[in-house]
Amino acid sequence: MTEALRIRGLAKAFDKPVISGLDLDIAAGQLYALLGPNGAGKTTTLRMVTGLTRPDAGSIHIFGVDALADPIAAKAITAWLPDEPMLYDKLSPLEYLAFVAGLWRMDPQVASEEAERLLHWLDLWEQRDTRCEGFSRGMKQKVALAGALIHDPKLLILDEPLTGLDAAMARAVKDALREQVDRGKTVIVTTHILEVAERMADRIGIIGGGKLLAEGTLDELRDRAGTEGMTLEDTFIRLTSGA
Amino acid sequence: MTRLVPGSFAWLASHELRLAWRGRRRGGKRQALALVLLGLYLAAGMAVAYFLMGVPIDYRAEIGIGILAASVVALSFMTTQAILGSQQTLYESRDLDLLLTAPIEGRVVLLAKLAGIAGAIALTYAGLLLPVVVPVAILGHPHLFGVVALLLALALTAAAIGIAVTLVLASVAGPRAARTVGQVAAAVLGGALFLFSQLSHGGQGRRSSFVVIFEDLRAWGWGETGWSGLPGHAAFGDPVSLAILLAIGVALFAGTGAVLQRLFLSGYQDAGMRLSRSRPTGKASARLFHAGLFRPVLAKEWRLLARDPGLVFQVILRLVYLIPLMLVAFRGSGGLIAPGLAFASVLVATQLTGSFAWLAVSGEDAPELIAVAPVHKQRVDQAKLAAALLMAAPIAALLPIAIATVGRSPLGALVSLIATAIGGTIAGYIELKLAKPGQRSAFAKRRGGSAIAGILGMIVAAIFGGGAAAIVYFIG
Repeated sequence: MTEALRIRGLAKAFDKPVISGLDLDIAAGQLYALLGPNGAGKTTTLRMVTGLTRPDAGSIHIFGVDALADPIAAKAITAWLPDEPMLYDKLSPLEYLAFVAGLWRMDPQVASEEAERLLHWLDLWEQRDTRCEGFSRGMKQKVALAGALIHDPKLLILDEPLTGLDAAMARAVKDALREQVDRGKTVIVTTHILEVAERMADRIGIIGGGKLLAEGTLDELRDRAGTEGMTLEDTFIRLTSGA
Repeated sequence: MTRLVPGSFAWLASHELRLAWRGRRRGGKRQALALVLLGLYLAAGMAVAYFLMGVPIDYRAEIGIGILAASVVALSFMTTQAILGSQQTLYESRDLDLLLTAPIEGRVVLLAKLAGIAGAIALTYAGLLLPVVVPVAILGHPHLFGVVALLLALALTAAAIGIAVTLVLASVAGPRAARTVGQVAAAVLGGALFLFSQLSHGGQGRRSSFVVIFEDLRAWGWGETGWSGLPGHAAFGDPVSLAILLAIGVALFAGTGAVLQRLFLSGYQDAGMRLSRSRPTGKASARLFHAGLFRPVLAKEWRLLARDPGLVFQVILRLVYLIPLMLVAFRGSGGLIAPGLAFASVLVATQLTGSFAWLAVSGEDAPELIAVAPVHKQRVDQAKLAAALLMAAPIAALLPIAIATVGRSPLGALVSLIATAIGGTIAGYIELKLAKPGQRSAFAKRRGGSAIAGILGMIVAAIFGGGAAAIVYFIG
């Protein structure tokens, strides 16, 4: 099985250690949910994977590409969607996508067609020439998602993608993520909404104290925590209570 | 605030004034440096006061004209500041939602906001005037306390005019256009008096246009009696003049609250729904997509710069101040005109390119997007610097063109152009290397964010501007 992400001995400290010797393997073609209490190091881990934060130690491979030795090649196949959308208020969705396509050096014809497809698919076509400054948070999140998808990444990483979205918008984003997985992409999400992980994720990893506390399918996690028949919330609390 | 009735105008105004005061405060070393400079200025003011202690300072027509002129100039700058402050209040401050959903009359909120704007203006000019005026007034010239009241009257008047201009523009032109038009109006107003002085009196020999205006006003009897003498007499503590000017200021202030309340509320409500116009382009969307890195970066930077009302203000202000220089070139015949223009050309180019480079490189609203893209940051920065240079080029080329056409010195123009291009590039490169990252909205304070880059930019301007001026002078 192809590995989308392979992390070994990852460590990062700011004032105090945040990540300490993290090992993580995520297979390609999965939706992987990374859970953990506040301050567990989820976002720090993902920022190191995307090249935004330099690790103190360890290695990161994305589809076999050493992300620390060859960050450009790793970034070319990765997309990052933080909880605060990386947008320009004064650009329209179409202009934003044109800029993102330029950063990823896409062929203009391909990029243009893909932008149109994404804007239609995310129900943003009517607003394609409207500046983002007046958009709701959900609309901004969808524009940012279009930006993350336009260059057809093999690995899509999202930090709290559903925060602040209404039910319909959250459903649209969840459907979009599921569709990406169905198309063979790998999606990693962090979320505080355990119901999302429970319903959507193929596998779940739980981080605590800078390490991977548990990892597996929901049933595997329940077995490990001894919470058969209980919710992920019960399992999560049981597994993280000592972290 | 404990003694004021919560929700009253005074209570809300004191809140706004506190915000205005805290908005001026800087942390750490900058705060300490500001205090040291203020202390030195105050010491200088006290020295002046000591030397003037026994010297009678009596009102004369010349002084009256000087105070009248200073008041008009100050009112112009204050109104510019008020327009910008009003725009910030209406479109950028986030507390209006809170204030307007509280059980407080809209008129009271508007008046409190006006008080905040007037307070911010008064604070700016108080820092310049009071360290000198107050010691002089205390040490034997108490009538000069009238300057404080004059300052207050001017600040109230400017705040009322500023918010009225902003609200009327928002009503007539709509919220989107109002921001840009307001910034343009503020820029033109800020430079209007300078421009007017040059346009109306710039051609009378070698005498300064300001001297010409002053002599004309004295010949017409201005500054002695009547309305033209009001600011001067008020500054010298004349109670009637003070009462009239303060009454005008307070009446405008209160009248604005009463008359413009509805416009204020509708302006704010429109501002909250400032969805941009949608212009469906159909299949033409392909025109936005370009191969390579440079064109997408250039297109993005150009759009962001062109759609930034604050930047429009800055650029137009620079252009307004360029016009008198161009007029000098058209009217003058002295041998120092072309070198002077060469120096000014480099100065303008370095300032403009530095500003654009800061906006493009440091004022990046989505730095993480650039960071996660599969491109070296250095290449993106180079593309941004090139974009900044391209955007500055049309304005930076104006003065070399004037040297070539009006100054009849094509070679001088070429030298100026080369020095302008090199100076601008280096200034942009300095910003690229030294500027601290920040939000685009911090553009107006950018020099505060990177003092070293600012100083180096001025040194580059002096070296290349001086060099260009010297060469242009020697090649005739």
